[in-house]
Amino acid sequence: MTAGDPRLARMNGRLLAAVPLAGSIVLAAPEIALAHGLVGREDLPIPKVVFAYAATAALVASFIALAVLWPRPRLEGRDERRVASLPRILDPLCGAIGVAIFALLVYAGFAGSQTATNNITPTFVFVIFWIGLPIASALFGDVFKAFNPWRAIARAFAAVATSVSRKELPAPMPYPAALGRWPAVAGILAFVWVELIDSARADPSHLAVLMLAYAAVQLVGMSLYGIEPWNRNGDAFAVYFGLFARISPLHWKGGAVTWRAPLSGLTTLDAPPGTVALMCAMIGSTSFDGFSAGETWGTLAPRMTDSLRDLGFAQSGALEVTFTIGLLVVVAVIAGCYRLGVRGMRDATGIEMSTDALAARFAHTLVPIALAYVVAHYFSLLAFQGQAIGYLSSDPLGSGANIFGTATATIDYSWVSATAIWYVQVAALLIGHIAGLVLAHDRALITFKDGPTATRSQYWMLVVMISFTSLGLWLLSSAS
Amino acid sequence: MAAPPLAHAGHWVVNLLYLAPVVLIVTMLAVSSHRDKRAEAAEKAAARTPDEPDSQ
Repeated sequence: MTAGDPRLARMNGRLLAAVPLAGSIVLAAPEIALAHGLVGREDLPIPKVVFAYAATAALVASFIALAVLWPRPRLEGRDERRVASLPRILDPLCGAIGVAIFALLVYAGFAGSQTATNNITPTFVFVIFWIGLPIASALFGDVFKAFNPWRAIARAFAAVATSVSRKELPAPMPYPAALGRWPAVAGILAFVWVELIDSARADPSHLAVLMLAYAAVQLVGMSLYGIEPWNRNGDAFAVYFGLFARISPLHWKGGAVTWRAPLSGLTTLDAPPGTVALMCAMIGSTSFDGFSAGETWGTLAPRMTDSLRDLGFAQSGALEVTFTIGLLVVVAVIAGCYRLGVRGMRDATGIEMSTDALAARFAHTLVPIALAYVVAHYFSLLAFQGQAIGYLSSDPLGSGANIFGTATATIDYSWVSATAIWYVQVAALLIGHIAGLVLAHDRALITFKDGPTATRSQYWMLVVMISFTSLGLWLLSSAS
Repeated sequence: MAAPPLAHAGHWVVNLLYLAPVVLIVTMLAVSSHRDKRAEAAEKAAARTPDEPDSQ
C-alpha cells in the first residue's frame, strides 16, 4: 500500500478499528454463550464463538500487515534450489510399493473380515489415504505421485510394450482442453459421496470393488490421453494430492529434489476449466461432513427424508438422496461465496476481465483453505483412528494373524485431549486462511496496475476468508 | 407438537453469533464504498466547475 492513497488509508483505518471492535464483542459474548453451555468437553477458558472473533481480528490484522509490509510480489516467479539428486531406481521402487499396497487393500477387501474395524481397507482408505496423505503432501511434496499405483502400472505397461515392439508406442490423443479438471471434480465428489453418504461405505468388499473400478477408469484415461496429461487433470487423487503438494517447500521433479519458498508452488498452478469447481468441491465436501454432524442438519434431514419417503423412496434411498442434496447445496454455497468475493474484487477495481477468468486466476488461494478444512475437521479422526493401522498392519484381514507383533495394540484415546484438538483445529483454520490471504495479495500485486488497487481488490477476498473461517469454526463447534 | 422456534431461540441465536464478524466487515466495506463513491463524485464535480466557460 502506498501511504499517499487517501481512500486506502481511510479504509484500512476502518479495518483497524474492527480489531478492537471485535475485542469488545469478545468481552460481551461469554455471558451469552456460557448461559447456553457452549463450553463442553473441551474445558475451554472462553466460549467457542469468541475464537471466531479472535480469528477475524487476526485476519484483519494480517490483511493490513500485508498491505503495508508486502508491496511487491514475493511468491510469484520464485527460483527453486536443487538440494539432492534421486537414484533412478527410486521411482519404479516407489511405484512397485504403491501397487503392492493397492493389491493388498483390494485382496483384504474381498478376502478379509467384513467387519470394518477388523479389516485394514476402510481404515487405510478413509484415514491414512484420504486424511494422512494431504498432510504428508503439504509437508513433503507430491509423495502420491511416486506411489500412485495406476500411474506405476501404466508406466510399466508402456515400458514393456515399447521394449517388446522395439518402436515408439502410438502417441495418445491430445487431452481435450474443454474437459479440464472436470473428471477430477467428478472423482472427488464420487469419493466423498461414498465416504459420507453411501450406505455400504463400511463394507470392505464394496470398497474393493470401487477401488478396482476407479483403477480401470484411470488406466483407460491414461491409455487414451497419455499418462502425465491424465494425471495432471483427470485422476482425481493425483490432482487432489498434487494441489496440496504445491504448498510444500519440497518439489520432486526430474530425478531431483528442489527447495522452494513454501506456498510458491501454488503460484504456478494452471487453471483449466473445472479448477475452481474442484476447490469448491474440496472445501464444500469437508464443510458438509461437519454440517451433517450438527444440530441444524439434524433437524432438516429427517424432514427431507420423510418427504422423500412420502414420494415413494425407500428409507435408505431417501437418506442417500437427502444427503446428496445437502452435499451439493453446501458445495454450491461455497462456490457462491467465492464467486461473490471475486465479483466484489472485479467491481472494486474495474478490471477488464470476466468474473470466471478472475476466479480462475485466484483459484490457487483456496488450496491452503481446503487443507485447513481437512486438518480441522479430521485431525481427531487421524489422531485416534489412525492408530488402528498399528494393529491392522499386523492383522490386515482380521484373521487373527500377528505379522509384525502389533496385533494386540490398542488405540490410546488419552494422548491428545479434546481441548488440544480444538486448539489444533482453530490454528489450522487460521493459518490456512492467512496463507490464502497471502497468496491472494501476492497475485493481486501482479494482476492489478498498482499497489493501492491491489489492496482495494482484496477487501472482498478478506470477506471470503472471514466467511470461510467463521463457517469452519461454526461447523466444528456445532458438530455433535 | 413441534416447539415454536422462539422456545429454542438460544440455539440459533448462538449460531448467528458466528455470522457477526462477516456482517460487521461487509457493513463496513459497503459504507466505505458508498462514501468513497460520493467523495469521488464530489471531487469530479469540483474539478469540472473551473472548466466551465465563465464569460459569454
